[in-house]
Amino acid sequence: MAHRAAYREAHPLYTVISHWINLVCMLTLIFSGFYIHYPFYPGAMSVMRGLHVAMGFIILINCIVRIIASFFIKTAQLEGTREVDTEIKNWVPQKINRHQLIPMVKYYLFAKKAHPIVNKFNPMQKISYVLIPFLILFMGYTGLCLWAPTQTMGVFQAGIELFGGLPGVRVLHYIFMWVFIAFMIIHVYLAIAEDSALVGLMFLWREHEGYVSDPKTGEIVGYDDLSDKAPKTAAGESN
Amino acid sequence: MTVGVGTTTTFAEQLEERGVSRRTFLKFCGAIAVMVGLSETQAPKVAQALEEGTASGKLQPVVWLELASCSGCTESLAQAQTPDVATIVLELISLNYSETLSAAAGWSLEQARKDTIAQGNYLCVIEGAVTRGWDGNGLRIAGEKGTDIVSETCRDAVAVIAAGSCAVDGGWVAAYPNPSNACGVKEYLTSQGITTPVINLPACPCNPEWIVAVLVDYLLMDRLPELDSKGMPTLIYGESIHDNCQRRGHFENGEFVYQFGSVEEQKGYCLYAMGCKGPQTYSHCPVTRWNDKTSWCVEAGAPCIGCASADPGRTEHNWVDLMTPFLKRHRDMRIGDKHFQALPIAAGVAGVIAVAVGIHAIGMKANGRFAGPPIERIKEYDAKKAKAAGQEVDETPITKPEALEMEKQREAGEKGGDE
Amino acid sequence: MPQTSVIDPISRIEGHLRIEMSVEDNKVIDAHVSGGLFRGLELIVQGRTPTDAAYIAQRVCGVCPVSHGHTSSYAAEAAYGITIPNGARLIRNMVECAQFLHSHILWFYNLYALDFVNPINALSADVAGAYDLAHAAGTGVSDFGAVAKRLSAFAENGQLSIFSGNWFDATVDGQRAYKLPPELDLIATTHYLEGLQYQAKASQVAALLGGKMPHVMTSLPGGTTYMPDEEKLDDVLYRAIAIRDWVQNTMVPDTLAIAPYYLDEIIKDGKWTGAGPGRFAAWGVFDRRTMDPLDRYLPAGMIDDQLNLTAPDESKILEYIDHSYYNGTGGLNPRQGETDPNYTDYDINGRYTWSKAPRYDGKSYEVGGVSRMLVAYLRGVPEVQGYVQQLTSFLAAQAPAVFANASLADVVHAVDTTLGRAAIRNYETLYVANLLVDLTKELIEAVKSGDAATYVDHPNTTGEGAGMWEAPRGALYHYEKVEKDRITKYQAIVPSTWNISPRDADGNPGPMEEALIGLTVDDVEKPIEALRVVHSFDPCIACAIHVTEPKTGTVFNTVTNPWGVR
Repeated sequence: MAHRAAYREAHPLYTVISHWINLVCMLTLIFSGFYIHYPFYPGAMSVMRGLHVAMGFIILINCIVRIIASFFIKTAQLEGTREVDTEIKNWVPQKINRHQLIPMVKYYLFAKKAHPIVNKFNPMQKISYVLIPFLILFMGYTGLCLWAPTQTMGVFQAGIELFGGLPGVRVLHYIFMWVFIAFMIIHVYLAIAEDSALVGLMFLWREHEGYVSDPKTGEIVGYDDLSDKAPKTAAGESN
Repeated sequence: MTVGVGTTTTFAEQLEERGVSRRTFLKFCGAIAVMVGLSETQAPKVAQALEEGTASGKLQPVVWLELASCSGCTESLAQAQTPDVATIVLELISLNYSETLSAAAGWSLEQARKDTIAQGNYLCVIEGAVTRGWDGNGLRIAGEKGTDIVSETCRDAVAVIAAGSCAVDGGWVAAYPNPSNACGVKEYLTSQGITTPVINLPACPCNPEWIVAVLVDYLLMDRLPELDSKGMPTLIYGESIHDNCQRRGHFENGEFVYQFGSVEEQKGYCLYAMGCKGPQTYSHCPVTRWNDKTSWCVEAGAPCIGCASADPGRTEHNWVDLMTPFLKRHRDMRIGDKHFQALPIAAGVAGVIAVAVGIHAIGMKANGRFAGPPIERIKEYDAKKAKAAGQEVDETPITKPEALEMEKQREAGEKGGDE
Repeated sequence: MPQTSVIDPISRIEGHLRIEMSVEDNKVIDAHVSGGLFRGLELIVQGRTPTDAAYIAQRVCGVCPVSHGHTSSYAAEAAYGITIPNGARLIRNMVECAQFLHSHILWFYNLYALDFVNPINALSADVAGAYDLAHAAGTGVSDFGAVAKRLSAFAENGQLSIFSGNWFDATVDGQRAYKLPPELDLIATTHYLEGLQYQAKASQVAALLGGKMPHVMTSLPGGTTYMPDEEKLDDVLYRAIAIRDWVQNTMVPDTLAIAPYYLDEIIKDGKWTGAGPGRFAAWGVFDRRTMDPLDRYLPAGMIDDQLNLTAPDESKILEYIDHSYYNGTGGLNPRQGETDPNYTDYDINGRYTWSKAPRYDGKSYEVGGVSRMLVAYLRGVPEVQGYVQQLTSFLAAQAPAVFANASLADVVHAVDTTLGRAAIRNYETLYVANLLVDLTKELIEAVKSGDAATYVDHPNTTGEGAGMWEAPRGALYHYEKVEKDRITKYQAIVPSTWNISPRDADGNPGPMEEALIGLTVDDVEKPIEALRVVHSFDPCIACAIHVTEPKTGTVFNTVTNPWGVR
């Protein structure tokens, strides 16, 4: 048994850094957010608020830059191949992904034995990854509704009125943090369950041996044990 | 000092007769000047305006309507000290109609209201919510629908001062389930097509000094105070309670009260952890304070309950529904009649997900998928298509030896191609 | 053919009230007290926490918010099974005292006095004569000349302000209803203005201990939020002493100075004026260390027709709805009580008010200052016995024919009249003013000795309980059922519900109706005699009909189910 090869083309250095930023920000935001919600030990309010605001801005900027960058950078759309395409196509669900959904669900429900051939991100993954930036933007917006310096601006006042006053915004900001927590539980679990080698790739940018996929069909056409001294070029792999 | 000419005494003289010195009077004028948005150096101008106002013999007629109220705002006005309520009703305004203070009763009181309306140029102060239940019959005064009295009195008023949260957006009377279908004055007037400007002064009760400030602003400047989009004076409702709170330093330091009657409470620490609504409530309470500036809620160790929070356009945003439970950090959410907090629900859902993930993980382990599951040889979709076309399809998963074999062949093929 | 005399709205009370009387040969032969504005406190607190309820309950009444807050807190504490510590007891007592003082002063001078005092008449007063009169009456002397000047400036201006549409020209028995000499009117008007200052001072005491007033912030289930520091206690003490001195030197003497002109409002032609049912209920107020209602500074008790004193029994309270806008008939104990409003046309022979009709052991009871003082008298509270003695000798001097050898029953009857209620309540004001000074000193001692804890937590969050306490206007009852710190049931019976209650199932009138029936009314257009009777009860309508608030018109054509509204 084995996984497909984990190549750097799947997650280039930029996305690895961006992912790191997301991770650090998210954890800091959740912790400091809990503290601001209820200061469970005394003494750290101004630090926590400073941290929360700073990390909030960083994750917001990171999110926006990541969205813009996805129109320009190239990444592999499949695991086990070095052939690349524009990132946004690999991120947003494509027509071709439609028929991958049901087999994937069946697989997770143990109704299908073999792992289906899917893109780097399976359809459910793609949907959730598309929703995440919206969630971050929403959290940023509600966060700025709650942040005193921006609270009184018209654009945020509108939101405050829409969401049931500051107490309403506060509850929404809080509930959607739990959505993040729920997402993180599932995300971490599935990443490990699917292929722990991907964790090494995502965090340490370390490649891992595994099956080679056909860049067009996704079918497995070989096995790369990374024994070649010179890494194979994308061009070299296609035949 | 200015000496009144003729038989009419000036306002300052009248005050002096009651033991209020010119100095104190000017101090009061200065306080009012600041309240209405002038510099304190304008105090003499305020003094002049007040003196001229009383000496000319023209007091501003005011009608004070009580709707679905607790009379707390009238009571609150009776606590005003700069100036006191006697000065207000005898020398500042002509309070022609007030159910709590008027000497008259019954029809003659109603007559006083109707006369005032007929003469025009009057201000209308309203306390209490408009109850629209029973087609406006939920509230009847002197045989008339309460809603009709509101329309009749407000239509020709120079301006309407909605004093207190109930008058602004229904207040607690409009809290779920809003049994009397209450709403604020502005909302009701808008529904009736009445365009009289409404000055909203939420708080429960309304701080008397704010009512006085608005009155003086109108009498002195001959204009209505600057209002924000909700019709509230920006000078009173422009900053949060948190911003001006005397315990703000403790908040920044992270020094909190976690229990009433504790050592922290004795030290006057911040009440944030007790559910204080100061950060989400905009009003001048910490500056104006209450009852002749003797104290205010947070000074007395009581967390703000956000009673000055109001949204004239949205009755459901009344302060009680936004702020309860008062001692919790979060407002309640509600499904039907059930009130609940966000935490148990959110944490519960997250917990269920975590458990589900755990169970799934056991399944994945049992199926040996962590080590790498068997992988489809051909996509299900392609396989189905191929089968439909009558082709034979190998649906067994691919194995590693097979893949290694394929790799060897592929490499061989590549080498062959190179040669 | 009887004439109908209606006063609607009744002013100078808290809330909105209508009375409708049938008058034949200048006698009131029938009276109906009515009203109705739906607010729905019991429904609004459903599902919220007891602490929220304590804060919201305050807001049914802007005059007696403190009492509602305290009673609601006591109900929650009974449900939790906790007792508040000594510091909280003292602070609550003090805030309650401050509210009583505020309410009593405001009621007597600024609401009730205008039925007897004519400030316009004071314009013709001889200022020097006013000083002489004040000295003779032993009441407070201040700058009467300044007030006279101020009044003349006010009168010259020509705008009547709060005196617009006044009843100062009303008549009683064909004569002027306002009988005071101009000098006494001037004195009383001066004290009207001073009264405004002192009621504000009393509120400042409440604010110092409670953050703000109306609607104090510091009392909640479990005790109070904080212990005021020395600076605040000092501010409280000097105000308490100032108020006490003023009540003693001005308010009580004023009452005795005005009374001789209006003895008709106590007894007229051998008939007690505005007499209630002669049964009195008090739940008691101001806890001592024992926390026993029978041992309170103003203790609990029920006085029946025969002047027998018993301890209140919650289970004997029934609320009838036969003549109120609610579905159903008969009486229910508030613990079983239901609130199912169903609005029907105003019909004095059928349903005509939103107020329920509470009865104790099947009988109507009067509540208020008179009830508290009589219970305290019968329970032997020494100060109160002294005050009643003073009042009896005063009456004996004024009307020897009636009071020379007054029996206890006579005294009881005398204070249960239009003016008697005010007199006994003003003595109560003095009692409470002294109590506030004493309690402040006790609190300072308690702080010194470290016996001033203010709060206890409540591990238990489920239960049911009732709070029985007193508002300035009388006996106040809140009941709540709590499950996991959320209210599942809430009922309240407030003082004015007792006093303004409609007929019960057997057609027996409520206390105020009873007081009005048999009254002589000179002018059906301005029935000032009736107005005086109504004001003597100090009705507080906003809370009387906490679910509803009386403001009923003669005819209601539109009937809408309140549950259909939203």
